[in-house]
Amino acid sequence: MNKNRKSSALVLATTMLVVLALSGCSGGKSAGNALSEGNGGSTNSGGKAETVTITHYTIDSEDRTFVEKLIPDFEKQHPSIKVKVEKAPYEQFDSKLQTLIAGGKSPDVTSHWGYGGFAEYYNKDMLLDLTDLIKEDGFKAADYNIPENLMNIYKVKDHTYGIPVNMYVTLMLYNKDMFDAANLTYPTSDYEDKNWTFEKMVDQAKQMTLVSDDIAKTQYGVDFTWSERDMRPLFFGAQPYSEDTWTNGGVPSETYFDSPEVIAAYNKLFDLVFKDKVSPSSEWSKSVAGQNGDPFVAGKIGMSIGGSWNLAGANDFPFKIGVAAVPWGGNDKVRSTLYVDPLLILKDSKHPKEAFEWIKYLITTEVQEKSIELSGGNPPVNTEAAEAYYKHFDGIDPQDIKNVYEGAVKYGFESYNHLITNYSQINDMFINELQPVETGHKTVEEVMTTIQKKVTEIIHR
Amino acid sequence: MSTLPTLSPQTKGTRRRRKVEPVKIFSFITLVVTTFLMLLPLFFMVSTSLKSKREMLKFPPTFLPESWQWSNYTEIFDTLQFGTLYKNSLIIAGLSVVGTLISSALVAYGFARFRGKGNQLWFILLLSTMMLPYPAIMIPQFVLFSQMNWIDTFLPLIVPAFFGSAYNIFLLRQFFSTLPEELFDAGRIDGCGEIRMWATIALPLSKPALATVAIFAFIYNWNDLLTPVLYLSSSEKFTLPVGMASLTSSRFRIPPWHLLMVASVLAMVPIVTLFAVAQKQFVEGIVLTGIK
Repeated sequence: MNKNRKSSALVLATTMLVVLALSGCSGGKSAGNALSEGNGGSTNSGGKAETVTITHYTIDSEDRTFVEKLIPDFEKQHPSIKVKVEKAPYEQFDSKLQTLIAGGKSPDVTSHWGYGGFAEYYNKDMLLDLTDLIKEDGFKAADYNIPENLMNIYKVKDHTYGIPVNMYVTLMLYNKDMFDAANLTYPTSDYEDKNWTFEKMVDQAKQMTLVSDDIAKTQYGVDFTWSERDMRPLFFGAQPYSEDTWTNGGVPSETYFDSPEVIAAYNKLFDLVFKDKVSPSSEWSKSVAGQNGDPFVAGKIGMSIGGSWNLAGANDFPFKIGVAAVPWGGNDKVRSTLYVDPLLILKDSKHPKEAFEWIKYLITTEVQEKSIELSGGNPPVNTEAAEAYYKHFDGIDPQDIKNVYEGAVKYGFESYNHLITNYSQINDMFINELQPVETGHKTVEEVMTTIQKKVTEIIHR
Repeated sequence: MSTLPTLSPQTKGTRRRRKVEPVKIFSFITLVVTTFLMLLPLFFMVSTSLKSKREMLKFPPTFLPESWQWSNYTEIFDTLQFGTLYKNSLIIAGLSVVGTLISSALVAYGFARFRGKGNQLWFILLLSTMMLPYPAIMIPQFVLFSQMNWIDTFLPLIVPAFFGSAYNIFLLRQFFSTLPEELFDAGRIDGCGEIRMWATIALPLSKPALATVAIFAFIYNWNDLLTPVLYLSSSEKFTLPVGMASLTSSRFRIPPWHLLMVASVLAMVPIVTLFAVAQKQFVEGIVLTGIK
């Protein structure tokens, strides 16, 4: 028996060795690289200055991984810094980031490209305070044509935690073919045009809506997906979170989801579907365009209000499109949501100075201009490079895009998902709780008390 | 993917005399309808994989492609480095299957054949590891492998398979326990050691169970997304699920569903092949044990 056990152990050990050797072969080269680069890359190159490797962690999709193409130039200008891009699919972005940090392999530069937002990162103490770096470096946002109000978004109590790199806004895309067929004039791109109101939009939508038993013939006038669900009352001037939210790291002292103003705002939105019947129900949208699809892309919607990332696919749409201002809904200050993506340095970064050099490189006018092409249309935060962005889309008047962008910045408010703590949980809760209202099984009044209670719970978690 | 039961000799003999019963017709029709329903998504997968980008967005969707885009099947190799991803997935899943089979079968044999102190306790302990969800061990495991400098290599994805998995050990142990003791007595008389009995008696008789374990292990590792995402960071080492997830990763673009369907069709090939091969093993196993 003893002998048998010995030989079985021997068999197991031998197989293990063989497999280790085999798998070592397949990943062998990289294991060597990992050794030299993984440990902060403190290898000497040519016996001169110490070379430092920094990691840029991003989503694995073309509009994010294009930074790989910017590295050679950067490394030429900064011979002592090497940049490595690490990536994960969108859905796994947050879990990989958390694991990397917990495992002591924190990347140096990243952004809130996953589900979590800036406030979540800030409250988890993941971010490096950039204030001293900025002071030491003499960094001025104006040198990179970044408007000061955008810089303020990622300041908490006068400390800067992020440098803006891309800016998306809310805009209206409209299907020119559908407008022509209904003999309607195109909506304006001018934010100062006082006639362009929510009511006017509903009125035009009515003229384009055609509900038929034949699902292929059915089309709707407008799809109003202005920002995330909890932010929508703001469009009508109702305030769901208390003012102090924006100044103390994303923890609101009060929320007002059961207030008459917020309820009225939600009712106005759901009226589009159930009373005016100019917007598709969520079931219809899903049946036409799939779980995460957009029925506008299928040519079934006249006007679509959404993020400016919708523009990126514009060249593939099978119809002519135009860009218009978001109509006035009752809030004199806010009509657009801003989605400003910052570049962040993580607290565990071993080379914050070099990481800051890389960030500065990414926001220079020249690189931002190049990035528009390489990414296939990411809007830059640099106002000078933005000129190139406005001209990027075939068949759309650059002046319209410029008007809409400038108006959106003037009447914009940074997206709540970047500013409120535990946001991914809040968002999930909203999607679940509003579901019965979206399907017409419950009224807004019925769900709002529950939402108010749950939001409070999540915020204080 | 259901398999039709094979007719046993008894029913074969009596079949001719029997009249066609309405119940049989009914069940036949039900089977045909269900098969059709089951195959429908598969059909749409193949059909979408042959559509153009524009046609894929169309509503209502077309049943068959208007123009057949066979070029999609070559395009995927350019957009995704598909060949590399495929090779990596095959290496990882293949070696994991080998690892799982060897280690689980050895441990299961031990649990089934040897009686020792605390035998039951160890087995319960082993089974209790099944209750631990992966996210619970994710970070400690990552720290461990990262200290061993295994990050961005295939090792964290393959080596754990060589340490057995509770579910497969349980499955094989139950199978080994059913093998008649007499066979091993005969082996012992002929001078077989335990390892030899494991290899020449237990394993050949357990082909159906081993085939099941192989399929489970292969499918699990072939489809696994989270582990490769955590441990791999260079594109040339990514696996198929990571590459496919990246296709839908952009929040800002319409995902190229047609290419994703191409990838899905091609990703199905090894699993279908393995299943076809293993099915033969199932049947063979039944026949062998039946004769003995």
